[in-house]
Amino acid sequence: MLSRIAESMFWIGRYVERAEDTARLLQTHLRMLIEDSAAAEVDACRNLLALMSVDHVDDPTLIEVLRVLGYDPSEPTSIYFSYASARDNARRAREVIPLDLWECVNTTWHQLPTTPFGTTGAHVFLNWARERGAMFGGIARGIMVRDDGWEFMSLGRSLEQVDMTSRLVASASLAHGGRQWPAVLRGCGGHDAFLRTYRGLYTDREAAEFLIVDERFPRSIMHGLIAAADSLHRVARNNMVTARHAETALRSLGQLRAQLQYADLDDLLDNLNREMSKVQDVMAEATITVSTSYFAAADSTAWTTEGTR
Amino acid sequence: MADVLSNYRTGDAFDEMIDGEGSVRPSYQAVYSTLSRSTSDDLRVIAESLANNYTQAGVTFDVDGVERPFPLDLVPRVIASPEWEIIEAGVAQRVKALEAFLSDIYSDARVITDGVIPSQLVTSSTRFHRAVWGIQPSNGVRIHVAGVDLIRNPAGDVRVLEDNVRVPSGVSYVMTNRNAMITAMPGAFANQRIRPVAGYPTRLLTALRKAAPPGVDDPTVVVLTPGVFNPAYFEHTLLARTMGVELVEGRDLECRRGKVFMRTTAGLQRVDVIYRRVDDDFLDPVHFRSDSMLGVPGLVNAVRTGGVTLANAIGNGVADDKLIYTYVPDLIKYYLREEAIIANVDTWRLEDDEAREEVLDRLEELVVKPVDGSGGKGIVIGPRATKSELDALRLRVIEDPRGWIAQPVVQLSTVPTLIEDCLLPRHVDLRPFAVNNGEDIWVLPGGLTRVALPEGELVVNSSQGGGSKDTWVLSPPSHRSSGRGPTEHTEDADDHVEPHTDVPLTVAEIPAAVMPKLAETQRQQQANQQQSNQQQANQQQSNQRSRGC
Repeated sequence: MLSRIAESMFWIGRYVERAEDTARLLQTHLRMLIEDSAAAEVDACRNLLALMSVDHVDDPTLIEVLRVLGYDPSEPTSIYFSYASARDNARRAREVIPLDLWECVNTTWHQLPTTPFGTTGAHVFLNWARERGAMFGGIARGIMVRDDGWEFMSLGRSLEQVDMTSRLVASASLAHGGRQWPAVLRGCGGHDAFLRTYRGLYTDREAAEFLIVDERFPRSIMHGLIAAADSLHRVARNNMVTARHAETALRSLGQLRAQLQYADLDDLLDNLNREMSKVQDVMAEATITVSTSYFAAADSTAWTTEGTR
Repeated sequence: MADVLSNYRTGDAFDEMIDGEGSVRPSYQAVYSTLSRSTSDDLRVIAESLANNYTQAGVTFDVDGVERPFPLDLVPRVIASPEWEIIEAGVAQRVKALEAFLSDIYSDARVITDGVIPSQLVTSSTRFHRAVWGIQPSNGVRIHVAGVDLIRNPAGDVRVLEDNVRVPSGVSYVMTNRNAMITAMPGAFANQRIRPVAGYPTRLLTALRKAAPPGVDDPTVVVLTPGVFNPAYFEHTLLARTMGVELVEGRDLECRRGKVFMRTTAGLQRVDVIYRRVDDDFLDPVHFRSDSMLGVPGLVNAVRTGGVTLANAIGNGVADDKLIYTYVPDLIKYYLREEAIIANVDTWRLEDDEAREEVLDRLEELVVKPVDGSGGKGIVIGPRATKSELDALRLRVIEDPRGWIAQPVVQLSTVPTLIEDCLLPRHVDLRPFAVNNGEDIWVLPGGLTRVALPEGELVVNSSQGGGSKDTWVLSPPSHRSSGRGPTEHTEDADDHVEPHTDVPLTVAEIPAAVMPKLAETQRQQQANQQQSNQQQANQQQSNQRSRGC
């Protein structure tokens, strides 16, 4: 597969996943803020933005958060930006993407909001954003040939999902007290499953365990790490010539997996923010390794050698 | 006459549907009866269905960087079988002569020594490239794909308006128009056999494979596009998709030791044949424009050493120069010892003092065109130009007589076209496409009929806001019943099993609201290229996000 196309596929996967997960995160925190009206809005919003690595907004309000993470096309963290970028990448890879999938991405882009909205409109928009992500995933799973294009897209999705779940998990520590975990679990759509698994009797410890290391839950960090490694293995197998390119990324994913697997959960909970930042760092590192090994941009020396001959 | 046709009055031009006596021509009987049974409401429904179809499918042509659905009119342009046979033969003859001309001009140039054309004519063409002098294409083909623009004058004669042997575009709309018409207006297809057009990608792929460098048994073919910002990007994706080959950009390719490779996830992979949709000037920054961001350094060397085949070949522009065009009938006589089957439109060469004087005197009644233009750019139509436009033109012609030709204003033939609620005559031309596989020249039965939508307008180019029509070439009535030779039957059967081009039919593609930021030079290269433009080294950048992954 062309490197440029592989890169587009990877980013389509990431952007769609990011859009959906941002919607989940935003929805979770909207609910928490409204439920707990005693909380200081500005503090809560600032923490939320910090969690999403946004640091250019002073004294944010809820409306600001909706703009920055929701509908503002010029904010790189917004759902709007993610879906627009997914469509942009899909257009570049249009000849390899199944028509149904292209239509799904194109329609999503077409339906993006053109006007700002407040908290009332927010839920309609966030539900829509989650549904479009689900539809994309469903169509892709249903009709895409399991070739390199599929693998790079899955890899992008998995890395992004791990990154976003780690942010959601970290957000549980934004305020003190055990009240955050049910909301976070709901945000991942895993609340009921969690209750079933732990029979309704649980502590923060179990909640963290479920979201971080329970590989049976598809939005857990562990599940994403395993899926990413599987995709990388298959890419390596399909491209024997460049198989060693996958090694570095596989190693860092595996190391992280082992660390989390055998971590002391109480330690993890005590340093939730720091540990989750580490997860995000490894995802960023893996992205860079994959990019340099598989999507390598034009070799600038090729120019001069051919040109001066 | 039914409502929708009650106001249909033919003018001075030849009308494709109604003859001089006001009767319906035989080829249009079926279309006419469908139309006359329709109310204006029916037509509106069909027109809307066609428009939605294209918006949703993203069948677009970019105008000024905005993706727009390509307007498709519901009344087809119908060509009877005997007439098509003439067009087919005429187009093939022309391509054959131009092939011979190119082969000659890039080697011994006998055509000059024999005094058929002045040498200055060739050397002064900006599209004659010495860089490719002496290169022999592997199967002798330089014009793998040609588009020859035809018009019909008021006398009813078909004439050649111009040749396009560089990167003719539009064939994708021939295929999508047919698909859309079958869905929107099935009734009109009844009781006649219309020759299918969906076989084009197979023909093209076969021709490209045959053009592979010697010794390559199973060549890798790619389509080279300038990128997503090219007006014809839709066409590039459609051709790559329907041929099942990679669509590459310049930055996906790399030349090493006279061979071309594409960068894949499995490392470098050899490319043997490039169907390029990038203009000559932008192909190789080493030989042509060094500021090109669309090309591949070293590509010309690779072509020269036979490491790769480019289709169409570099330097073809000398053959569709509009001044060379005036000599094509002579070239046909010289190379093929035949008379031209389809004549040219009368043309004045402005380097000739007498002709120039006459043209300058009659500027307000003639059409003046730049010799190397395309897409209708730079054309001045005398009767519709203002005095200051004509004065400016006069100065430019005197300054550079080699750069211009003049033709009488030809009233192109008309076809009924839906304007608001009525069918009205509108001017059309026709661009048939020919594919040369080195053994024979195949002409796609049909072609792109372009229609000028404003009343009286004669410029039909899509880049000038023109629309299009489906073009129906009718099979001879006896085609099925009479026993024809086995070869014809094979071809016929071929046509039947041809898969329909897979065109998306449901979702809207509308102008890109979010475009990666591009350097201004890149944008300009895109905008100014003939049918092409592109770019985007910045995609990676746009994919980066603030938090650093």
